[in-house]
Amino acid sequence: MAKKITIDPVTRIEGHLKIEVEIENGKVKNAWSSGTMARGFEALLTGKDPRDASYVTSRFCGVCYSVHQLASSRALDAAFGAKVPWGGNLIRNLVMGAEYIYDHPLHFYQLSALDYIDIMAIADYKGNDKDLLAVKDKIVSLVKAKDTYPLTPRYEPDEFTVKDPDIVISAVSHYLKALKMHAKARNMGAIWGGRTPHYQNIVVGGVTSFPDINQVARFRSMLDEQAKFISEIYIPDVLAFGTGPLWPLAQMGIGGGHHNYMSYGDFQLDKDGKKLLFPAGVMKGLNPADIKIDTVIPERITESVKYAWYKENKPVHPYNGEQIFNLDKKNAYSFVKAPRYEGTAMEVGPLARMIIAKNSDILALVEKGAKPGAVARHAARAIETKMVVDACYHWLDQLQTEMTKPGFKIHDTEHWDPPSSGMGAGFSEPPRGALGHWIRIRDKKIENYQAVVPSTWNASPRCDNGVRGQYEESLIGAPVPDPKNPVNVVRIIRSFDPCLACAIHVIDPQDNQIRKFIIE
Amino acid sequence: MKKTEKVYTTTEGGDNVSPKKIVVLGVGNILLSDEGIGVHVANELIQMKFPPEVTVVEGGTDGFRLLNIITEADRLIVIDAVRGHASPGSIYRFDIDEVRNVPSGFKTSVHQIGILEVIDLSVLIGKRPSTTVIGIEPKSLEMSMELSPEIRDKVPKIIELVIEEIHRPV
Repeated sequence: MAKKITIDPVTRIEGHLKIEVEIENGKVKNAWSSGTMARGFEALLTGKDPRDASYVTSRFCGVCYSVHQLASSRALDAAFGAKVPWGGNLIRNLVMGAEYIYDHPLHFYQLSALDYIDIMAIADYKGNDKDLLAVKDKIVSLVKAKDTYPLTPRYEPDEFTVKDPDIVISAVSHYLKALKMHAKARNMGAIWGGRTPHYQNIVVGGVTSFPDINQVARFRSMLDEQAKFISEIYIPDVLAFGTGPLWPLAQMGIGGGHHNYMSYGDFQLDKDGKKLLFPAGVMKGLNPADIKIDTVIPERITESVKYAWYKENKPVHPYNGEQIFNLDKKNAYSFVKAPRYEGTAMEVGPLARMIIAKNSDILALVEKGAKPGAVARHAARAIETKMVVDACYHWLDQLQTEMTKPGFKIHDTEHWDPPSSGMGAGFSEPPRGALGHWIRIRDKKIENYQAVVPSTWNASPRCDNGVRGQYEESLIGAPVPDPKNPVNVVRIIRSFDPCLACAIHVIDPQDNQIRKFIIE
Repeated sequence: MKKTEKVYTTTEGGDNVSPKKIVVLGVGNILLSDEGIGVHVANELIQMKFPPEVTVVEGGTDGFRLLNIITEADRLIVIDAVRGHASPGSIYRFDIDEVRNVPSGFKTSVHQIGILEVIDLSVLIGKRPSTTVIGIEPKSLEMSMELSPEIRDKVPKIIELVIEEIHRPV
């Protein structure tokens, strides 16, 4: 008999997500992904000056602010007819590049690694390495104090969990090293963004602050430190885990899903935007021997609300999207809409980008027997982080050269005033995947604004055709021998790096005792 | 500088002790009315003058990414909305360690990696700042960029409490 289990909330992700799975004979038979927070910030923009959009949308998400700022500015660029000068594009690239350098290692170490290692094995470390012994002491003392959160895994170790004390202790020391690197990485974007969090610099037409040579030098030295960590620790760890203890999971391809992939393409490499670091494309049904990639035609994107808590409507293009909630809707189970490309559910994010790019490292892993899925997603993330690091050096060199040229520009000041009417779409590829913003302007004011975010593509519920979203599909067939310990379910879901933190931040204590601290 | 000139510091510990770094951190989402109270207060405080060892940060809805700011602080004062189901505008004040002793524990927000978890994590890479939360019971969490009037009226009082907190010896 099928048994239904619910994981609510899925922890160690950004935001609030509920996953329900039906298990039969030790495997997931059916799955439902439910975004349990309402969002619909777009409504706040109606009637505002279009230039406000890049500021307001940067507050959509607590995690990915600069990426909304960029997609929004690009939508405005299109609607205003602004042409961003090369200098502005280079700085936009560097801001987003810093985002990758920050985001991907954080996802691997802080949000995912604990799904794969048994942290408690650390107590059995018998080696003499002083640094590692210090790590052991630190963790063991936390365990003794029963204060291991957030290190303690939520689920029991299973057959795929790494229990070798030497591997575990080195992983934990890298976890701590990664934490230190995150704290530093955050300041990289701030060099251009003026402050952190919530940068200020990306606006319609380009960027706002003129770079000086000190900023370039500071960014470069911070990049050097991160680059060293990424090539010497992050990449080797992902490779060692992916091709070592996790190889059986990679071969099983758990978490594969629909095998439809989409990337809007991003990181302009030349002045006219023809060459991109991550190419754009869509692909339906992966056949590694014969990868056929089509051009993305944004008009073919629709959002279905059949199973989402919105007013009943046919699937519509984001230009015409609306946010009218209906919490009593029959069969609805999510606040996330279901975006589809030509009616098809798509995976977006690192794996999609690397497959669309026909990246040789990822294809080599597939050749060796890894199936695209949870483990491949971690590998794709590491591979593209390295690509971005290398590209950042290139962009810095270019910026340094450009800055010395007469007439160096970072902003198209000719197109600062909003047009009386217009439409525009802005696309980008933040770490989590394809992000699109759509704006319609009338009488110099925003008439309609819609954003379709990466986690909406991946976390969507079923659509009008009843097709499961990518999280849901990726869970089908996943081994769950013990329903009390659905560790594979969270491994799969976290491999996507869910981000549904597009809302609340309030501190919410679990009991009323907090009231005793009222002082006023 | 003439050699006889005396260098003044704000610490009482003598010339060789650098002052304790105090970070005032206002967090919240300004798109959800009172949820953004911490941000509104921080933006007011940013315009005021404080001794050099005091930094005011508007942290938005950031969680993990505030680690750089948190690990630099010796003392942290967080301003945030707190849902304790008291009457709107009630102000809470507690040190993190006090709340850790509350039996059912203290988990933050729907933001699964919340600000308090990040403060906990900071212990792993060095030190955990001594942390005080000034919390405000929200009235409305509806979508809006304005505070509700009851909460807006509390802003001067909250600022007063934060300043008191800055000067409180720890």
